[in-house]
Amino acid sequence: MAAPILQLEKATIRFGGLTAVNALDLVVNEGDLVGLIGPNGAGKTTVFNLVTCVYETTSGTVRSNGASLTGLRPNEVVEAGIARTFQNIRLFRSLTVFDNVRVACNLHRTSAPVQALVRMSAFRNDEAAIARRVEELLELFHLGRYRDAPATSLPYGEQRRLEIVRCLATQPKLLLLDEPAAGMNPTEKGELMALIKRIHREFVPSILLVEHSMRVVMGVCQRVAVLDYGVKIAEGTPEEIRNDPTVIEAYLGEPHGSSWAHH
Amino acid sequence: MKRIPTPLIALVATVLAAFGVSFFSDRIDPYYLDVMIGVGINVILAVSLNLVNGYTGQFSLGHAGFMSVGAYLSAAVTLLAGPRLLGEDGGTALQQGLLFLAALVMGGAGAALAGLAVGIPSLRLKGDYLALVTLGFGEIIRVIFQNVESLGGALGLNGIPNYTNVFWVYAFAALTVFTVVCLVRSTYGRGFLATQDDEIAAEAVGIDTTRYKIVAFVVGAFFAGVAGGLYGHFKLTITPTGFDFTKSIEIVVMVILGGMGNTPGVILAAILLTVLPEMLRAVEQYRMVLYSLLLIVLMLVRPKGLFNFNFTAIAARLRWRYLAARK
Repeated sequence: MAAPILQLEKATIRFGGLTAVNALDLVVNEGDLVGLIGPNGAGKTTVFNLVTCVYETTSGTVRSNGASLTGLRPNEVVEAGIARTFQNIRLFRSLTVFDNVRVACNLHRTSAPVQALVRMSAFRNDEAAIARRVEELLELFHLGRYRDAPATSLPYGEQRRLEIVRCLATQPKLLLLDEPAAGMNPTEKGELMALIKRIHREFVPSILLVEHSMRVVMGVCQRVAVLDYGVKIAEGTPEEIRNDPTVIEAYLGEPHGSSWAHH
Repeated sequence: MKRIPTPLIALVATVLAAFGVSFFSDRIDPYYLDVMIGVGINVILAVSLNLVNGYTGQFSLGHAGFMSVGAYLSAAVTLLAGPRLLGEDGGTALQQGLLFLAALVMGGAGAALAGLAVGIPSLRLKGDYLALVTLGFGEIIRVIFQNVESLGGALGLNGIPNYTNVFWVYAFAALTVFTVVCLVRSTYGRGFLATQDDEIAAEAVGIDTTRYKIVAFVVGAFFAGVAGGLYGHFKLTITPTGFDFTKSIEIVVMVILGGMGNTPGVILAAILLTVLPEMLRAVEQYRMVLYSLLLIVLMLVRPKGLFNFNFTAIAARLRWRYLAARK
């Protein structure tokens, strides 16, 4: 079997005396849609920062397709096919919706920067191809009508969607979504679930989703891992996790019922 | 069908226009000619600094330093290689032109190398810290030129041939604007703005922000070096103090006043800030006081830059009006 698209082995990071992520084993295979949940401060976003090389692991390894990601720069991780979104949306303020996506196409640009100055047909064809791809993506995700608007002028839900579309423009093999449902109302969450399923079906083979909204996690993920204080306390299907006493204890402090799962 | 791209047409047209004007330059009042050349040099400086400070968001205060590298280097080329290559009589106009072009390009290349040398270690710094490092670099360069006797020391280099004319200045000004605009508008160049807006997000879409910063720095330094070469062959004498940090500040002011990351605005600001002190000559000793006051007022009234208009919004409004009028 081929090496998994993402494999964390005993991945650990310490900030001084605090062990934010402790000996985490996690595997995302091609085709997986995995959820990563846990109470506030459990270390979910830190896991993302480890994978994307924003932080360096204190010990343990992070591999993609068998190759270690340790020591790469964050932009090289994207080149390796792993793209992420951010918990607090990070769009480029001074760029339009179109350009926010266009700038993410640089990895798949075929013309050299110098060609922007010579402007012969190779450059123009490449720019036209990129523009077509961006417009296609925007249309597919219903952002076409905002094409020339400043990215930050979009409604909140659309900004989230734009950030995801911007990730897709890098043509990732693995997509890391950091709390995409944060601040969304029930209707928007419903749309988001459909969106994630669609992206998984049509665009990115593997997705790792960090999310607080149980409705979203339980609704879309095939497998869920639970973090508490940096330690993985459970992993299984949504149904198993819903009924796991350790998980319930981590969230509620006492083994009682499963009503939390419906929030 | 093969189509010549518009930016190239604009570039060639400007260069040809500058070439045309240079034929009539002896009919223009020398004072106005001087102001025109000063305007052109400042446009090169401001537009190239705008790539670094405006588009890429790296606050550099060392532009005069790069300018001095280019000025000294190109002056050295024409002073040392000139007599040997062109002979006693000074050579034909074409020979002089080619020598000058080579000198300018070498001056620019030298400044670009200096930009690379300063940029690689210092671009890890941000904001105020980078400003201080680049300021320090400018001062170091100045002190070096002041103490190297073979470059004239504190007295500076004299007897530089008078090669700069309207053609060279405006040809290079057009090339600077062309380079910056074409770079920034391309898919590649959008990365400069992404770097400025949010480095973490830029890296998350695969942009190598360090590389972009260095490219901006090197390209900016190249054109500053060319501007320095033009300046030297225009003033005919260069001294280290002519490139101290007040010169850097002057260029930064043009960029800020024009609106960071807004090339048309920066061009207008460069023109205004070169012409304004000349127009204020009428009030003699109060000139710089008035100049400074005007700057303060301008910044209070238009803090985002004097000429920072939202061109897309204006275009959209005009189109809207046109469509409404047709109905």
